[in-house]
This record gives sequence, C-alpha cells and structure tokens, in this order.
Amino acid sequence: MSPPAEARVLEVPRTCFHCGEPVPANLELTVDINGEPRAMCCQGCLAVATLIAGSGLESFYRQRTAYNERPATPEPAVLEQYRIYDDPALAATFSTTGESGKAETSLLLGGMSCAACTWLIEHSLSNLPGISRALVNLQQNRLDIEYDPRQLQLSSIFAHIDSLGYRPQPFQTSAARQQSMDQYRADLRRLAVAGLGMMQVGMFAIALHAGDIQGIEAQYQALLRWVSLPVAAFVVLYSARSFFSSAWRHLRQGSLVMDFPVSLAIGLAFSASVWATVTGTGQVYFDSVVMFTFLLLLARFLERRAHQRQLFIWSDAESNLPSAATARCDGQWRTVPRTQLQPQDTILIKAGESVPVDAQVIDGTSAVQEDTFNGEHLPRTVTAGDTVYAGTVNVEAALQARVLVDYKDSRLAALQQSVELAQVSKPRLAILADRIASWFIAGILLVTVTTAAVWWQIDPDKAFWIALSVLVISCPCALALATPAALTNAANALRARGVIVRTENALEALSNCTHLVFDKTGTLTRGSLTIAEVLPLSDSERGAILATAAALQRYSTHPVAKAFRDIEEAGGCEQVAYHVGAGLEGRWSGSLYRMGSESFCRELVADFPARPTAPLYWIGLCREGAALAWIGLNDTVRPEASDVIDSARRMQLQVELLTGDSSPQGPALARALGIETVHSNQTPQQKMARVQYLQQHGFVVAMVGDGLNDAPVLGVANASFAVSDATELARSQADFVIVGGDLEKIVETLHKARQCRRIMLQNFAWALGYNLCAIPLAALGYVPPWIAALGMSLSSLLVVANSMRLNR
Amino acid sequence: MESLYLLIPIALIFCVIAIKLLLWAISSGQYDDLDKEAWRILADDEPRAKPDTPPHQTSDSARDD
Repeated sequence: MSPPAEARVLEVPRTCFHCGEPVPANLELTVDINGEPRAMCCQGCLAVATLIAGSGLESFYRQRTAYNERPATPEPAVLEQYRIYDDPALAATFSTTGESGKAETSLLLGGMSCAACTWLIEHSLSNLPGISRALVNLQQNRLDIEYDPRQLQLSSIFAHIDSLGYRPQPFQTSAARQQSMDQYRADLRRLAVAGLGMMQVGMFAIALHAGDIQGIEAQYQALLRWVSLPVAAFVVLYSARSFFSSAWRHLRQGSLVMDFPVSLAIGLAFSASVWATVTGTGQVYFDSVVMFTFLLLLARFLERRAHQRQLFIWSDAESNLPSAATARCDGQWRTVPRTQLQPQDTILIKAGESVPVDAQVIDGTSAVQEDTFNGEHLPRTVTAGDTVYAGTVNVEAALQARVLVDYKDSRLAALQQSVELAQVSKPRLAILADRIASWFIAGILLVTVTTAAVWWQIDPDKAFWIALSVLVISCPCALALATPAALTNAANALRARGVIVRTENALEALSNCTHLVFDKTGTLTRGSLTIAEVLPLSDSERGAILATAAALQRYSTHPVAKAFRDIEEAGGCEQVAYHVGAGLEGRWSGSLYRMGSESFCRELVADFPARPTAPLYWIGLCREGAALAWIGLNDTVRPEASDVIDSARRMQLQVELLTGDSSPQGPALARALGIETVHSNQTPQQKMARVQYLQQHGFVVAMVGDGLNDAPVLGVANASFAVSDATELARSQADFVIVGGDLEKIVETLHKARQCRRIMLQNFAWALGYNLCAIPLAALGYVPPWIAALGMSLSSLLVVANSMRLNR
Repeated sequence: MESLYLLIPIALIFCVIAIKLLLWAISSGQYDDLDKEAWRILADDEPRAKPDTPPHQTSDSARDD
C-alpha cells in the first residue's frame, strides 16, 4: 500500500520545474507543461513558464540540459524602464538602421544556461510581428536582431526577453570584448593549422618509421624528409609561436614558466631535424614536434573556451543605474538621460525607482534600500537634508532631491574603483605547473649536457644525436598537459552539477584555502523577510492577526510587505493610508487599525506594550483601544547553511562571517550556526581589507557573497563564489557562480578542487616517472626515434585519461 | 615508386587548400559558437503549430470589426 498522498508531499521537498529551487511548503503554483502539472516556486517562474507553455515552446523543457535561472518577479516598473531605449539617440548607440528601413541591434543577455535557451529565445522572438531575424550567440551571450521599427518598438523587444526570464541590456562593443573574440579566433586558427599539419606530417612519418624498420632507399627517405620540412616549419612558425613569445616574455621578467621547456623542446627538435634533413644524417623528429604542438594547443583551447563564455558577461557598477532620470527643466518635469544630469539640478525620484546620482533630499520623506552598500534589505528612512546615494532604491514615496556630484565622484563610483583595485591586488598563487617547470628545466639541461659530455669521450660522432634524443624523449608534453587537462575536466564536471567555473586557476587556490568567509544577507540567508514570530497581545488568534496584517500590507511597497504576500488576507479593508517612515493605517469592519513602529501604534493605543527584545524586526499591530500583536520578521537562514559550515569545518577550514548588517542579527546568526569570527557593519571596502589582512598573514581565503557590496571582496579573495540571484557585478568578479542557489555546491566544489589537485599530482608523478625511466635508456643510446614518438604520445594519452576521471 | 615525386606534391597542394578554406571559415565567423551549433544539429524540431489564433486571422477579424 502506498502512503497517503498528503504525507508524501510533506516529506519529499519539491523543486521548481523551471529553476530547480525548492518550492516553499505552503505554496501551490502549477503550470501544465507537456501535459503534466508542474510545481513552480514563485510568481516569477510561474509567469515565465506560463508564457513558454502558452506560446507552444514547451519542448524547450525537454531539450534543455540545465535549469533556468530564477527570474525576478515581474514588475511593471522594470518594463517601464525599457521605454528609454525607444529614444532614437540612445538606441543609435547600439543599433543601426539600414536603407530598407530595417534596424539591426545587438543585445547582451544574462541568464542563459544552456544551448536550448538559444532555441527558446530565437523561436519566441520570431513569433513577434516585425522581427525578421533573431540569432543568439551563446559563446558571447549576444543576441542579434533585425526588426522593423515601424511595426515593433525596441522597448517591447526588451520587455519580451525579460518576460522569458533573461536579462537584456544593450551590447556595447568594448575593447576587451573585441580582444577576447580576436583571441578566440586566433587560437582556433593555430589549432586548425596544427591539426592539419599533424595529419600531413604524420602520414610521411609513418613511411619514414616503417623505412627505419624495413629498410628504405636513401632517395625516398630524403624526399619524405624534405616534404615534411615545409609543413612542420609552417606549423612551428604559425601555431607554436605563442609558446615562444610567452616563454620569452616571462624570461625577460625573470620567471620560468612551463612554456619555456615547451619552446626549448620544439625549437631544438625542429632545428636538429632541419639539420638532419639538409645534411642527410641523423634522425628527424618533425612528427613529434607537430603532434606535441597540436596536443598542447588543444588542451589550452579547451581550457580557455570553458571560461571565455563567462568573460562576456561583464558589467560594472554603473550599469545598475537607470538610463533615464526625471529632472526639472524650465519649470516642468522632463525625462532626461541620466548622463546629462549636472550638480545642482533638481530631480524627482519616484517610489520604486533607483536613485540615479548622489543627491541631497530637498522635499519629501521616504526610505531608501541601500543593499548596494551594506547588503541589507531593510531600508533607511530619509527626509529633507539627508543624502541619498546612486544605486540605492527609493521604496516608499517620491522624493525631490538636488544633485550633489557627477557619477564619477559618487559613492557607487568609489565602489567600482574598489572592484578595479581588487582585480589588480588579487594575489596570484604560484601555479604548481610553473613551479615544477623550473626544476624540470634545470634537471633536463643537466642530464643533456652530461650525456653529451660522456658520449664525446666515447664516440664524438654519436654525441650530438644521443644528446638530442634525450631532449626529445624528455619532451614535456605530458608534463605540460598535466594541469590543463585536469582543470578542464574538473570545470566540466562542476558545470554539469550547476557550478559555473569562471577562472580555472581558482580551483588550485581553492584546494589550498584555509579560510571560508561568508556574507550574511542573501548568501547564508534567503535575503527576504518572513514571519518568524507572532506575539498576540489580546485574545485574537494568530490566523486572524495575520489576515488583518496582510490586508493592510497589500497597499505597501516596503520590503516588509513581501513577507505577507502569501497569506490570505481579510477582505474589506479600506481607506488604507501610508505614513512614511511610520506605518500603515486603515479601516476594517468599522474600526481603525494601525500597523508599524512602536511610536506610531502608541498614537492610537497609548499603553501599547514595549517592543520585545529578541533580535527580530518587530512590527506592532493595533486597533482603536486595543493592542493586537507584535509580529517579528526575520530573514530565513538557508536550510543547508549549517550542514555546509559543519562540512567546511570538517575539512579544516576556518569559517568567518562578514556582514554589512549593523543589527544584532549578524552575531545571533553566527552563534546559531557556530561561526566564531563575526565582523558586523562592514562597508565593501572594510570587507576587502579584512580579506587582504588574512592574505598578508599567509592564509588563502575563499569568499562567498551575492551583492554589489560584495564585488570588491569577491574580486580580491583567492577563490570566490557568487550564489544565485547575485548581482551581475558580483557574478563578474566571482571565480565560481552557483546556478541553483544551493550552498551544498560549495562543499562539492571544495571536494572537486581537492580531487583535482590529487589528479594533477598523479599526472606530474607519472610524467616525471616516465622521464626518469626513459632518459637513462635514451642517454645510453637504446631508444630509436619511433619509440620516442610513441612513448611521448602514450604518456600524454595516459595523463588525459587520468584527468577524465574527474568527470565522474 | 617514382610516382611519389608527383603524388606527394599534389597531396601538399590539397593540404594548402584545406588550410586556406579552414582559415577562411574561422575568419568569417562560422566557428564562433561551437556549443550552440553542436546542440542544434541534434535538436531541430520546430515549435508545435501556433495555438488558437494565428497572427493573420487576428488581423482579419480586426478588419471585420
């Protein structure tokens, strides 16, 4: 007998069909997709999934290989923001209009998780009237559209993409982006030339090796050598040039990197083969040279391609600001581009809008949500005379303000500068491969010189060729492949598990890290308030209290109101008025109700009891003549947080909490989770300084964060994670982006990083061990070139196969 | 075996042509998005026929009103 359906629903945590996040226990949102009702976790996912299913594109869900990102709850204000792109002057900065009247434009899309997303976007857009071509480039996260501006406005294209759950913005061709694109094509060209060259030279080499064994006429041997020469020369000059230039660049800076023994091997083996061909003596190694070049280029290409996609998702602090602002010109309010605002201009900031510049409030009272700077979601009350900062959000009521400074002198620009500073000052840990490389070079040169010297005594004719075969057989192919092969496989494995690896070298740093530092709001917690406690002050019951509260809060835009969104409200609440900075007031079945701060409630009920002391965000509720309740709100801790912290501690990591929150909630949370070191009330710059302090004391720090305010610290940490819902700027600074928002992924990444390090060490052990066995044989003159070539390929294959184990 | 003196240079000419073609294809952007193209060749089914009201019908009925 199967258990009753209700019981099963409670036991098994449901995940959202659209984004893969857990569905809150009491939420029942479903969409019919492919003939089955599917659970949704929030209004945002519901809206997107309904749109996809409703437009006949639901086979997207069968074809995708990764969950979508969780979209923001649809807000009309956001869609309104896109109207600014209908301004021809602004649109002209990223689109062109052809002679036929059709316009072409390029957009940068955030939130694409797999190739099926490109299919969804392309097909969904081509259903819109007026769009003649829509093409998504997944590698660059770019969408190219050709559309008819007379039938379709640019803002509706933006709004349509937004409604599919992706975040569109104008694609500005920047120098960095162009460079990255050029680099990609150059890498591919080198790889293509090396690949074709390898096949051609390999064909001739098989004939030559067979000739060595069976005997070959001298004229044909010479012919095969002479035709191999130009092909190999082209590959060395065209494809292997990047090794030479990199080795030379580092050598001039006084550092030895893996590229140096690589260049040495390629250069010497090629020169000796040319000499052998011209003089008709000795051995040629053209095939080894070309194959070696191809294998190394392939490994590097794969390594680069894995994270290059992420490079295009680039953003800075300024892109969080609205493009337009409302300013007073000639006695009336006009919408002007934000960049045209001057100090002393008067601007109007409506409720729900972002503050466009640093400004001083001259009229109005409201509250601004300053998570940009402190990561917190509870707003600060501001009134005439207070300063509001660019990038914060005005949540309560319209404000008039006087512009104080340009963007470049604003507090947000200072944050951006910290981010740039963090990038420069990020400590680079010595890469394992490069440390081994310098020892390896010294060893090989010593052995080669000794071999040559000894054979010079025995048989001067053979000395050169035997010394050269030592060099070729010690060819560091397997050694040079040891790290990139392991890193690329580990990054692929992590991507399949929902962790995007942006910088692969961070895996090496992560395997060595000693400290794991967390941000609080939005990282360890969900970043939204929920009702934690209801203290009734009269005989009314909890359900009735919450229903009344929900009815009042429905009229509010304050972040607190979101906590009451899912509660069924008591109907019939009227004349609700919002008292800025105090609370809400309304009539329900004839009596006056108030909900808000202690003093606001006392105006109605003089003996309203004092606020409880527990570290929660408390709101009072009262009716004329009767105190009703204190409602305590709290940011819920992610359920897996304590397990993650326990696992981290079992892995011998020191765990710290760095939060911008100044309330006692930070230390309270740390106590609950067992974190000993807490730093509260930290500015973005202080967070960065704390991590740098740890680094100066020789520790390796991994940081987990989400907000704009975490961007500098994510940039400076040795390895950093951005959790889901993180701001674009935080993502662009993090080494790892966790797609599903499950903190357990941090532990998985830590384990994978350590496993990757073990595999790298095994690869090195094998590559060096192979050399230790083969070099003495070569030094004694026992290794013919075809065995040398075979041995090299087999040892490289073994290193690659060993690295593939990381994919499991 | 003298034919080798003719056949190998011909093979080299083909190799040069192949390299030229490949470099041209890369430069013209045909290999810019390896992920998407690799996926698309396996999943080419079009979305199912548009539901309820195709666009041209709505415009017709709008004219009728």
